[in-house]
Amino acid sequence: MIEVKNVTKKYGNFTAVDDISFDVKDGEIVGLLGPNGAGKSTTMNMITGFIESTQGNIIVNGYDISKKPGRAKKQIGYMPEGVPSYQELTAKEFVKYMAELKLVNRKVLKDEVQNVIKQTGLEDVQNKLIKNLSRGYKQRVSMAGALVGNPDVLILDEPTVGLDPKQILEIRNLIKELGKRHTVILSSHILSEVSQICERVIIINKGKIVAIDTPENLETKTQNKNIIYVTVEDKNEKMLGIKEKVKDIETLEYIKDNEDGTKQYKIVSNAEVDLRKKLFDILPKEDITIFELKKAEVSLEDAFMKLIDDTQENKDKKECNIDKKNKQDNEKDKKEKLPKDSAENNEKKQKEGKNENLKKDSNEQNSKDIKEEKEGGEK
Amino acid sequence: MWAIIKKEVKTYFLSPIGYVFIGIFLLAFSISFNLELRYSSGIIDFQKIFVYIFTYLPTILVFAFLIPMLTMRSFSEERKNGTEQLLLTSPISITKIVIAKFISALIIVLIALLFTGIFIGITCFFGTPDIPAALVTLLGFILLCMAYVAFGIFASSLTENQIIAAMISIVTFVITWVLPEFISSGSNFSLINMFYKFTTGQIDIAYTITYLAFTVLCLILTITVMQRRKSAR
Repeated sequence: MIEVKNVTKKYGNFTAVDDISFDVKDGEIVGLLGPNGAGKSTTMNMITGFIESTQGNIIVNGYDISKKPGRAKKQIGYMPEGVPSYQELTAKEFVKYMAELKLVNRKVLKDEVQNVIKQTGLEDVQNKLIKNLSRGYKQRVSMAGALVGNPDVLILDEPTVGLDPKQILEIRNLIKELGKRHTVILSSHILSEVSQICERVIIINKGKIVAIDTPENLETKTQNKNIIYVTVEDKNEKMLGIKEKVKDIETLEYIKDNEDGTKQYKIVSNAEVDLRKKLFDILPKEDITIFELKKAEVSLEDAFMKLIDDTQENKDKKECNIDKKNKQDNEKDKKEKLPKDSAENNEKKQKEGKNENLKKDSNEQNSKDIKEEKEGGEK
Repeated sequence: MWAIIKKEVKTYFLSPIGYVFIGIFLLAFSISFNLELRYSSGIIDFQKIFVYIFTYLPTILVFAFLIPMLTMRSFSEERKNGTEQLLLTSPISITKIVIAKFISALIIVLIALLFTGIFIGITCFFGTPDIPAALVTLLGFILLCMAYVAFGIFASSLTENQIIAAMISIVTFVITWVLPEFISSGSNFSLINMFYKFTTGQIDIAYTITYLAFTVLCLILTITVMQRRKSAR
């Protein structure tokens, strides 16, 4: 059980994490999602006690990380971003050292180390120096370091970055397996991974929590249209006329011709309406043969983009307004300034009262300059 | 804490640093010993020879460069490689981590010092050395080492660049060493000058306390730096 209550982290004037609260129940796998620099790692580092929060409390299994750091840290297995490890040690030595750091009982230490090595598939390389291991194995060594000592809470910062597809699958399965006995928080920007592994997702953007929900709920919540892709053989060109016959269709759009003479269309309707049955009924009657019909799934990716965009848009709008205002102000300034300048020039030259031609020339030159400047500004 | 000491000492010998340290250390002492034997006017003073080699200039000079080399990596490297994250998220407190790092560096110094027993052996074979004076010298030397090691570790906690950490210690050591040459009151700040008192065979309580206090001060500073970085990171 992890409770994060109103946690804020500031670096000078910059707020990396802004008043976030959430909790993670025992045996739950929770994914932290967010673009780069959203505050995922900062949040994780605060939970593990590596950095101190500016405000707020973090309680791990009943122990406050800032008041009882020793007890709280004992509950946590942490795999930091970039999988740091002691390059000059062998995999086994490293895992053993981590076990000792976590104060694992000496009697069970040897077995525990062997167990974890087996669990993470490090048996073949356990006596190799970490610096000679491939990235995938380094990742596993780091994972083993987090697992050893059987901590209740596992915090994994981007556990599958840099792995090959097979390794990713293995690590994912391992995390799923671990989720049965441990509380797991993992961060990732691979969304399909999160939707596969995690029971709940916390989306963070710019230090704030944008949404906390199950992946399924997030997907349906952000879905506002029902989209169906249909591939048909349409000899009589009747397809576009379907729109009139089925009221619920909002838009019917031609997408592409396939090589085999079939055509693909996109049909959009309201989110509550499922047109699939109707299409199957009506299209054959119009002498249209359905080759393929599929409903477009709204993925977590879409949900993520939408949520991130929403927060982004609000901010952008503000910035945009400010920009516009600035631009207008600038232009105003210019307009006011330029005539004044040229007037001043004129006066000067009239006072000099000599070389009329030159004066004209220079005036022309001046107005030219002004024109150019204006154009440049507009550009 | 014991786990960290064990691992640190092991790492000193997994990298060349441990061997280089002990090697140069013994080389410097051997050269001193040799020079003492060769150029001592007339009769060789077996009674004092062990003490003399500790007062040789090259010994001290090399020593001021060796300790920084030994301590420069202790926190800098961890910070640079990110392993600091592993260490500081373990249930072991920062105080214990700092003390463990200090003890492990000191162990290397003690191992090197152990080899200087050879010189006592040689002088015992050829004459009768002043054993109490030799032991007091060793005590003073260990105290001096403790102070320098603690400072070196403090310097290492300040930066993630090992070279800068080493430079901070070297410059500080050299300054405290040459200070008495320029300022008369400078000798009060010169840790090396205090050590010469021990070579006379007397244990100076005030100097002993100064060394210990300096050591503790440096360790506390290190702990403070580490703790403060926690909120500034």
